[in-house]
Amino acid sequence: MFAQALATEFLKLRRSKVTWGTLGAFSLAPLGIALMMWIVREPGRAAQLGLLGTKANLAGLEATWPVFFYMLTLVVGMGGMLLLSFIIAYVFGREYADATAKNMLALPVGRHWFALAKRGVAAAWWAVLGVTVLAESFAIGLVMSLPGFSATLAVSAVRDSLLAAGIAYLLAPVVAWIAMVGRGYMPPLGFALGMMALGQVFSKTGWAGWFPWSIVPLLIGAVGKPVTTLAPGSLVVVAFMFLAGIAATIAQLRYADNAQ
Amino acid sequence: MSAETAIATSALTKRYRDVLAVDALDLDVRRGEIYGFLGRNGAGKTTTIRMLLGLIHPTGGDVEVLGSRVKPGASDVFARVGYLVESATAYPNLTVRENLDIQRRLTRAPQAAVADAIELMRLGEYADRRAGVLSLGNKQRLSLARALLHRPDVLILDEPANALDPSGIVEVRGLLRSLVSEHGCTVFMSSHILAEVAHLADRIGIVHEGRLLEELDRDELCAKERLYVAVGTPGLEQAATLLKDAGFSHVERDGGRLRVFAAEERVPEIARVLVGAGLDVTELAPVREDLEAHFLRLTGGVE
Repeated sequence: MFAQALATEFLKLRRSKVTWGTLGAFSLAPLGIALMMWIVREPGRAAQLGLLGTKANLAGLEATWPVFFYMLTLVVGMGGMLLLSFIIAYVFGREYADATAKNMLALPVGRHWFALAKRGVAAAWWAVLGVTVLAESFAIGLVMSLPGFSATLAVSAVRDSLLAAGIAYLLAPVVAWIAMVGRGYMPPLGFALGMMALGQVFSKTGWAGWFPWSIVPLLIGAVGKPVTTLAPGSLVVVAFMFLAGIAATIAQLRYADNAQ
Repeated sequence: MSAETAIATSALTKRYRDVLAVDALDLDVRRGEIYGFLGRNGAGKTTTIRMLLGLIHPTGGDVEVLGSRVKPGASDVFARVGYLVESATAYPNLTVRENLDIQRRLTRAPQAAVADAIELMRLGEYADRRAGVLSLGNKQRLSLARALLHRPDVLILDEPANALDPSGIVEVRGLLRSLVSEHGCTVFMSSHILAEVAHLADRIGIVHEGRLLEELDRDELCAKERLYVAVGTPGLEQAATLLKDAGFSHVERDGGRLRVFAAEERVPEIARVLVGAGLDVTELAPVREDLEAHFLRLTGGVE
């Protein structure tokens, strides 16, 4: 029955404007970085066009591949965590916002299949977004003829971006559970924003490797220097959050009252 | 649970903190009948239906549908159940056809089931419109189409006539009757609209404050529509005995008066019996006891 649940979840996602909106929004990120690169490279023309204000401070930025990749990793890591939370909040919360949850809970399909199918479509969509943004970034960098490209650098940037995206995905089941408990979009988004803010705080403490939402900022260097490898403890924390989130969503669907 | 039973509940109870929503409800809905679950708003109808479908879990008691106990994790039985709970809802971004196709896939119904359901509920004109732009009545039709799509053996419908216009109500009534007579489907439908239930149901359960007050079958329902004569007298006990001795077999006390179930023509005879025994008669009036009056009296409403 997983196949049927998955097919229906794909249909829901494909026909949603939100899906295409997230693609549009995330695709803007590399363009934004490219604009900054161009301003750094062409400050005179940028000033003429009014793109560079007198108080703008882009000092320290260079229009090079390493900087481009660093910023891309930041955007995919931090922006992606928020965007993925939004996707998850939508995929799970819409059933409550549209009052359709009741329509899928008394069917000859185990409720856990819905939880897993929703996670499946979110994963697929997240992968599409990630690959699109990376491909777009490479294309933009090439068009701009940024200096400093190397295969090692590219592999490292792709690895860091995918790792950050992967960790964000592993933290998402908890957001899904909040969407189901909160029966809508706002509670999971509030939760995700709160956790990301706390993650920033913890990033500056010795607990950074133990707080789940600090691990991505730590990895991509959103605060301080990026770490090269994650401590086993951090991986255990992330794995635990993933499994706990999955178990909580399934338990919520199976045992909680749905008096919607 | 016998083979003749489609839905059975035993001591079914749901409590929300201090509120007892459903109180030790025992139901026995037979296969192939239309069972009307009648009650005022807030009587516990929807809560009961949610428990029948496993959407909420009972505080106590059991539910069995088609011989299978409804419990967390049990989903196979729902291949044979269609339902509509409370308001009609659908995925607003999907068309009518796509909404039904989701149901088809999840119930493993054949491909043609979608077109059949669309035709059955007269949704052809709207088949490729998004559900979000449908009128309330058409949303209700879509929800009914969804419930019927896989030709279930049991239909559990919560206020199915909601938002339908009069012709839609008649249409749905005919549809439900044909499902029962032609396909042997069992229908459990809740309503707070007496006329709707009285027109359709083979049996009626009257629920109030979470408790099943009374179950009536068709014959009993007709009996409730008999004429009775309201009799007021200071000597109610003596009057009841006198009337029974005089051959009025069905006499019951109703507060400060008697209900003597007899035809209007027998009013003079009642008067003769009572006055002849020296009793003062303060009221003597023929009354038509219909289901509405019965329901209101039973549930403590204003008659």
